Amino acid sequence: MKTRRKLKIGSVMAILSILLVLAGCGAKQDSTNEKSSNKQKVAVKHELGTTKVPENPKRIVVLELSFVDALHGLGIKPVGIADDNKKDMIEQLVNGKMKYTSVGTRQQPNLEVISSLKPDLIIADVQRHKAIYKDLQQIAPTIELNSRESTYEENIDAFKTIATATGKDKKAEERLNKHEETIAKLKKEVKEENGQTILPAVVRDTSFQAHTSASYDGGFLEKLGFKDAVQSKDAYAEMNLEQLSDINPDILILANNEGKLLTDEWKSNPLWKNLKAVKNHKVFVVDRNLWTRFRGVVSSEAIGKDTVKLLHDQQK
Amino acid sequence: MNAKKHPYGILSVLLLILVMMAFISLGIGAVYTSPVEVFTNLIGKSLSNHFILFNYRIPRMLLAVIVGASLAVSGAILQGILKNPLASPDVIGVTKGSGLFAVAVLIIFPGASMMALPFSAFLGAAVIAIALMLFSYTQGTKTHSLALIGVALGAICQAGIQYFMIKFPDNVNTTLLWLTGSLWGRGWNEMWFLIPCLVLIPLIIIFTSKLDILNLGDEMAVGLGERIKYVRYTLLSISVILTGASVAVVGSIGFIGLISPHIGRRLIGSRSKFLLPVSALIGSLFLLLADTVGRGVVPPIEIPAGIVTAIIGAPYFLYLLRREQKNK
Amino acid sequence: MNIKKQRTSRYIIGFIGVFLLIAGIFIHVSVGSSSISITDVIRALFHPDNSKQTTIIQTLRLPRAVLAALIGASLAVAGALMQAITRNSLASPQVFGVNAGASLAIVVATILFPELHSKTTVYFSFLGSALGGITVYLFAAGGKVTHIKLALAGMAVHLFLSSLTQGVIVLNEDATDVLYWLVGSINGKNWSHVLVLLPWSVFGLLAAFIMGRSISILVLGENMATGLGEKVQWIRLVAGVIVIILAGSSVAVAGPIGFIGLMVPHIARKLVGGDYQRILPFSALLGGILLVYADILSRFIAYPFESPVGIVTALIGAPFFLYLARKGRKIKQ
Repeated sequence: MKTRRKLKIGSVMAILSILLVLAGCGAKQDSTNEKSSNKQKVAVKHELGTTKVPENPKRIVVLELSFVDALHGLGIKPVGIADDNKKDMIEQLVNGKMKYTSVGTRQQPNLEVISSLKPDLIIADVQRHKAIYKDLQQIAPTIELNSRESTYEENIDAFKTIATATGKDKKAEERLNKHEETIAKLKKEVKEENGQTILPAVVRDTSFQAHTSASYDGGFLEKLGFKDAVQSKDAYAEMNLEQLSDINPDILILANNEGKLLTDEWKSNPLWKNLKAVKNHKVFVVDRNLWTRFRGVVSSEAIGKDTVKLLHDQQK
Repeated sequence: MNAKKHPYGILSVLLLILVMMAFISLGIGAVYTSPVEVFTNLIGKSLSNHFILFNYRIPRMLLAVIVGASLAVSGAILQGILKNPLASPDVIGVTKGSGLFAVAVLIIFPGASMMALPFSAFLGAAVIAIALMLFSYTQGTKTHSLALIGVALGAICQAGIQYFMIKFPDNVNTTLLWLTGSLWGRGWNEMWFLIPCLVLIPLIIIFTSKLDILNLGDEMAVGLGERIKYVRYTLLSISVILTGASVAVVGSIGFIGLISPHIGRRLIGSRSKFLLPVSALIGSLFLLLADTVGRGVVPPIEIPAGIVTAIIGAPYFLYLLRREQKNK
Repeated sequence: MNIKKQRTSRYIIGFIGVFLLIAGIFIHVSVGSSSISITDVIRALFHPDNSKQTTIIQTLRLPRAVLAALIGASLAVAGALMQAITRNSLASPQVFGVNAGASLAIVVATILFPELHSKTTVYFSFLGSALGGITVYLFAAGGKVTHIKLALAGMAVHLFLSSLTQGVIVLNEDATDVLYWLVGSINGKNWSHVLVLLPWSVFGLLAAFIMGRSISILVLGENMATGLGEKVQWIRLVAGVIVIILAGSSVAVAGPIGFIGLMVPHIARKLVGGDYQRILPFSALLGGILLVYADILSRFIAYPFESPVGIVTALIGAPFFLYLARKGRKIKQ
């Protein structure tokens, strides 16, 4: 009696749930976006394969800051950016105001917003967004490039790929030539410091993270003629004061976090005071966004100009 | 209490609330969809937000409902077996074990296909369950030992997880995010992993009589001819499968297995026949609510559902327990 | 005769303990991102010169070793007190949510007031650890305080607090510091931290030692204690306050280092018997030794980078916890 009733309820629930799943699967098939197939497509090779991107995409969504930089260098405005809800950071990157839609954090970009923007190209970071590659492809042709863990060279490669995808190969070439010229000019301006060891580092409450020769900023600084004080295969190296005093760089660049800093405690320690960089007043505090987050052709030139300014101001 | 006299009434009300909540949740997200739009989409007439609805909202809603129910039922089973109202997959270390194995795979084999993650979660849950049974075997499977050993195993898994995060610091953020538990990026693909839940939950609800007999106490149950160990282990395995599948899909979301049976007990008493379905419905509601709130509060940023369940669950749990203290 | 033997053996154990502690501190100081030989260490300590090595030892390594000893002692005594008050061999600042409560309070404080110095965050930590401990005590206190009830209640509260902490931190992008707040570490600490901790630790430890006799009587059983004229509730309250001071200040400086408070009292009890007048100081000694050596080990997990010492204590302590769970005994007198 009661068991039959239970069985009825149980089986009804089971059937309902299976039905829902089937309905969903069915719906899934007819909801894959049909793209207009009369547009020309460009095959773009990226970290996860090759994607056919429509020619001259107008609506681009980018999910990392280095891509914003790349598009900025090519004179293109994206319609959507994963900006961690920090509009002023983006304005700092492109040096001005820009209208776009925020699609959430770089860590977890909001798929709904991305799809509602109806993009024709999505550029994502292969390290952060590998897991959602398939989901992104469902919305629009997606290319995944190195951003977060990229070296300076990889970043330039990504720039070139983005240029191919957006049909701006010519413009990219011009821009890169200008870039080389700028770097050569900057290198000359710091000629006196050529060969000196430099150490960029991110300082937080409980950690001092050095950026080695394998990091983006480390690699770029070496292009300007400096030598990164830590030569390594890994991009980052956590350090304590002992190790820092062993390495003893000529120039110390600190990208500070907000709030309490580990270096505050170090400042009263004789080991810190005896550092070459401290004694020669070559310790500089720089903007963390520019130096470690932006990454790109345009931003690197800004980093270079920053470095020159810091070194020359200090000499006055 | 009046409620206890109308269990079917309560079941129906809960089901109704769930359906309503599901419908509302389909409308909430970074792109607000009005109920009318939702309805017309569901009956087949496509409108502008069809893509979002069918690719994100509906699968997420279903996943939340199923995972919520699985965790709740798993918790109810554990609380029955261990005769302790504080038992749940989170506390007993099953969730942590799942998490440990999944994190190990995430970190050590970052190139592994996305399939590897769910399987390792299952494996982790299974390993903990086996360890639980092994370690308590010598004690004669007394319920006390199982609970305590479970807590200890959970502590070991926690230490293991932290060890991995230290040794491989580049992935800390992704790992922590995954461990917190979230439905972001989960869709139809993840549905396959929940098939065991879809089968097991109705089954266990039908066979709840076994659980009730266990509650009578070991001696009496033996007298009634049930093979205690066998029943207990089967139920434990079911709980593990439900938890493993859930963790595989959403990461280690906590408190659902802990709180849902409590609320269920307050509504309907301790008879498993009604407690299990009611807990399941409450669990579904809870996770659905958490996910919807996480999605809708500060778009386009999503708060992981695991954080919302912690924020809601913690104070509510404290409140529940104080009431229990008062009633003693 | 037997008593005399016991007393001598206890003295021997005590001496060995002190020796181990001092040796441990020396080893701790000599091991690090660069090895310094023991002879150099001795020279630096007794004939300091202005060499770089001496500076390193004096300003970086020595304070860290001293901190390890202090924190180890504080946490061990806190654990011993808790096990005595609750008559439950599983009690410890970690199981009781004291650690987790303290670290949550600190994380929240750091986010709300980023410029706070450690001196002030200690008070937040006290508040947090008090709340954590009281919450668990409330759960576990109704009716029989059995092992399971305590462990489950503690684990439940620990889960809440850690996931809240985790959540708060995850929502801020910089997760590297997270681990240190979830797990506890003494990396990079110097004399300023020692100065913050010292008054609270010394006060707490001394207060605990003074209470040793009352605690011993309390453990005999409530009725007996009341019969002997001890004000039971008062003792419990004072002991609780001492626990909060010891654990709270440790967490404020180094994060929630776990399992010391759980393991050490058991070992101490095995070595010196059931009298708390002996157990408490011995736990302090043993706790100091344990944490110093654990910190030495932590250097080798990801050499040459440092790891949080909380990982080592967890990797040792969690299996120990399992061992205790399987034994399932109450405190033996």
